[in-house]
Amino acid sequence: MGSQKRIAKELAELVESPPQGIVVRLADESNLYAWNVYMDGPADSPYYQGKFLLNLSLPIEYPFKPPTVNFKTKIYHPNVTNDDKGSMCLGMLRADEWKPSSRIHAVLEFARQLLAEPMPDDAIEGRIAEQYKNDRKRYDEVAKEWTRKYAIES
Amino acid sequence: MSASVSASASSNLPSDSRSSGPLRRLSQLRAYTQQHFSAQPSSSSARVSRRHTLGSRVSWFSPASTGTESAHLSPVGTANSGPCPEPEQPSTFARYSSVFFPSSRGFDIDLRSPTRPPESSSSTPSNDTSGSRTLGTMSRPRGSSQALDARLDLEGSSPSGSGSLHAGALESADPVMSENPSSSSPRPKQKATIRFFSHQDTHQSNRPSLPFIPVSRTLPSDSCVIRVGRYSERDGLPVANPTEPSDAPVGFKSKVVSRKHCEFLYLNGQWHIKDVGSSSGTFLNHMRLSQPNMPSRLYSVKDGDIVQLGIDFRGGEEMIFRCVRIRIECNRSWQQQPNEFNKNTESLIKNLGKGETADYSGCRECSICLGSVLRPYQCLFMAACAHVWHYKCVSRLIHTPDYPMFQCPNCRAYTDLSAEVDDTNDIEEEGDEAKEAASEDKRGSSDASRSGTPSPQPEAEAEAEAGAEPVRDAVQNSFDEHRPGSLPVEAGLAANIENMQLHDTDASDNAVPAPAPTSNPTATPSNGSEVPGWQSLSQSPSTLQTRQPHLRADTPVRSESSDDNPLTPLNDSGPLALDGRAIIP
Repeated sequence: MGSQKRIAKELAELVESPPQGIVVRLADESNLYAWNVYMDGPADSPYYQGKFLLNLSLPIEYPFKPPTVNFKTKIYHPNVTNDDKGSMCLGMLRADEWKPSSRIHAVLEFARQLLAEPMPDDAIEGRIAEQYKNDRKRYDEVAKEWTRKYAIES
Repeated sequence: MSASVSASASSNLPSDSRSSGPLRRLSQLRAYTQQHFSAQPSSSSARVSRRHTLGSRVSWFSPASTGTESAHLSPVGTANSGPCPEPEQPSTFARYSSVFFPSSRGFDIDLRSPTRPPESSSSTPSNDTSGSRTLGTMSRPRGSSQALDARLDLEGSSPSGSGSLHAGALESADPVMSENPSSSSPRPKQKATIRFFSHQDTHQSNRPSLPFIPVSRTLPSDSCVIRVGRYSERDGLPVANPTEPSDAPVGFKSKVVSRKHCEFLYLNGQWHIKDVGSSSGTFLNHMRLSQPNMPSRLYSVKDGDIVQLGIDFRGGEEMIFRCVRIRIECNRSWQQQPNEFNKNTESLIKNLGKGETADYSGCRECSICLGSVLRPYQCLFMAACAHVWHYKCVSRLIHTPDYPMFQCPNCRAYTDLSAEVDDTNDIEEEGDEAKEAASEDKRGSSDASRSGTPSPQPEAEAEAEAGAEPVRDAVQNSFDEHRPGSLPVEAGLAANIENMQLHDTDASDNAVPAPAPTSNPTATPSNGSEVPGWQSLSQSPSTLQTRQPHLRADTPVRSESSDDNPLTPLNDSGPLALDGRAIIP
């Protein structure tokens, strides 16, 4: 598979010089196509001090098809589905937006950026987006609480 | 592919140097485009990637927006170096019009004349003529002057627009140097080119729009108008999709397109569209321009815009009732002209086969496999936008149902892979001049920016590392005086000087068997670069460069005196470089 080489290369780069607040591991050493990503909640966000586990799975056709990113840790966020899947809505990961020249590095940085700045206009969870826009304080509280509950190990 | 590419690229290589006028501006442009292009392909920063989410179309627009960015800067560059107003420069006015008409996307031509910004005063005549001409053509019966292209499929072979795209990519420094906004001010006018591609909207509906072959038009003069309407037999057999500039009307075989549907005009460096009273409407990015049967005002169109003609009738089941969706490609001239990026690509081609050690600063990465494209024995594919991938990696993007249309996965530029190669004479003529300018540019800045021809020393190192052992042995033998009849050191140095010049000019000249001035039996494939003392000479190449033309002219014997078969490329620079003899001027 041609994609393995590229994935291995990207993985090596990410392990060697990870983006800030992001740690990347293979979920299973024998499978290049499923990654575990540990993301620190950015400072100045209600997710601060939380450690979020994301699953990044790469299609066989990568880089011609986009990877998918799921939050395994529950998170209160307008752009992440509030269910078991924790699907994330990333514009650049849509099939018609994805370019083979995009990198996982960029995807992860973007995902983390989304934690710092949710995009309520592009939301999956409309209710949380509403709250984010109209009742920021309450949103912060809930998000903090969820972070404490699910993302901070005690 | 790569072999032929490297041949054509190196054949461009100029040999002499000239004054430094355009050079300065070029390097200004380069300084800018450097950042611009280095930011774009990597797209690794969070900010860049955020743009992807802003809207479904955003990435389509990004080339255009960056285009105007670069347009912003280049006038600044020229303004610095001389007070030359640039009325003909399209991008300048694209900017002006956006500055002065910020609120609405378009403006009416009648309003435009009185409120013309002072900056565009020098373009007054052309503005006026284009205005009156516009009115004239509106009332003029359609098809009177130019016949319609009867066979739409012929329009696939696109005119000079994409042709020069190819040229611009292959001979990056070559074709339209004099049209470069940053080069000298008295230059031929940039021809306005617009291209129409069929656009299938994946979001709005699953219904396909009318498929059509890409259409390209280059205006013979700015005052021309491209009329768009229903294809009609009555318009007769036309000059097919022209290689010459043409304003031939564009026809679509759909009943929902009115006979006179809309027009594209080029005003002050900006393409505009207006509905000329179509019954089922013209839509620019989903916005209807006018009421049925009412002409609209002018709306500016930019690269990546979607124009829809008409609305599906009867559900669009039948092809003849489908609406037409056109993706506009215009204002891409920045991409077709020499710029830092495609000059880098030229340099890349010259470094093919040298592996990672090549002295080459640009992007050497295939964006698909992230591997180096400088490896030997790997077929490459270069798109017209000068992005390069391994053929193996990009092939599945080439051989799609859309073939011969190819969309660059890096910058999303569309290319018609079946387009005729544009090798018209005027480009070659301009090319000579351009080559000189380019060479001079490279000379002047080779130390600073390293984007041009690799300077001798690193190349020597590269080859040393590449392990040209036999060569080294041969040369050292000759210098260690192990062989009878070896060269005196002075003569050897002379040979080295010559070789070094070749190095400096053209990487592929390495392949030339370089015999010493005296008939030295060992000198056959000697590369010069391995010779002790050579490096010290290379430190001061400036004086030697002046000698170069003489050296070249005076040593026609080089190939003849070689013992080797002249057809065999002696290739110690890498498997992909060619025998340079074919291209010695």
